[in-house]
Amino acid sequence: MDLATMLQNLATEGGSIGWGLYYLGKLLGAGVAMGIGAIGPGVGEGNIGAHAMDAMARQPEMSGNLTTRMLLAMAVTESTGLYSLVVALILLFVLP
Amino acid sequence: MTNDRLKKFTIFLFAAYIVLGLINFFVFDMSLEGVGDRWIVYFGDGGFFGQLNPMTLIMSFAVMFLLILVARSIHFERIPGRLQAAVETFFDYFWEMVEDSVPNPKYRKQTFVIAMSFFLYISVSNVLGGMPGVNVVPVENGLNVQLFTDTWYTPTSDLNVNLTYALMVLVVSHFFAARAKGVLKWLKSFFEPNPLLFPLNIISEIAKPISHSLRLFGNVMGGGILVLIISYMLKYFVLPVFLWGFFGWFVGLIQAFVFSLLTIAYIGSLLE
Repeated sequence: MDLATMLQNLATEGGSIGWGLYYLGKLLGAGVAMGIGAIGPGVGEGNIGAHAMDAMARQPEMSGNLTTRMLLAMAVTESTGLYSLVVALILLFVLP
Repeated sequence: MTNDRLKKFTIFLFAAYIVLGLINFFVFDMSLEGVGDRWIVYFGDGGFFGQLNPMTLIMSFAVMFLLILVARSIHFERIPGRLQAAVETFFDYFWEMVEDSVPNPKYRKQTFVIAMSFFLYISVSNVLGGMPGVNVVPVENGLNVQLFTDTWYTPTSDLNVNLTYALMVLVVSHFFAARAKGVLKWLKSFFEPNPLLFPLNIISEIAKPISHSLRLFGNVMGGGILVLIISYMLKYFVLPVFLWGFFGWFVGLIQAFVFSLLTIAYIGSLLE
């Protein structure tokens, strides 16, 4: 039995409790995925920004070079947060 | 553009946004039906190759056409005008980054062309996602076409487009590596530093296009849906202007820059 028919069975045979469980899982999953997934990238990007500011304060003539590296590192760090965003969007909109 | 003209242009833009917001406020009734859905056309038996996303096709060709028109309008002369000087400084900035990270001088020009075309294409298509335009959503019976209730459809908010570009970067970087170092040495690079690490090397190569494409997709698509949901509370009056400015222009341009920067970095790291 695949996920779509399983959820369909839950919703049709479970009545209002089934629908409640279906929406509970969907919304709770999306919220938890986004909330916990935002912690890691936030800490990581703050770290990167702090160290880049530190380096720029020490060597102001390097700031142009450092900014590109900082943006690149930030974009790479951001990806885990974006994966959780994609998972949350899938749970909210794509799930049958 | 002089300061005065810029000021007038900004005021005109704001006035246009506010007029559009008023029109939307009174004329259209906004609903969240069909958010995140795509207009997909099935033909044949509708298998893996029997599906088409018409908006992606139309908008990608429109972006390409726009870029070609702009490129044809710039004439390069011995004494640079203002536009030519801007284009030259902009291209020079990218060329310096390519020189920094691609060690083999033979492949610098190809890398530059690839990264630059990605940057131009993605930045134009992301900026289109920051302007009000035609919105096509599939609803229960047929299509729902509305003018100025949402931004233009951006081709980069479709995962097919991003994944195609990321896979192209992967294939091109391995092709360059095989041609620059020789096939045997390229194959040997998978078994370094230890033959036991071969599966890990393969996984790290597969992870590259996935993170490369999902980053752009998550930013553009997540931004678009966030704008729709937040502005649903205000029925599209003033708030979308700022949100479109943030997600469409600021985040969009940074992500386009990051995409091309990563393209350069991936190609350069395999050529070492």
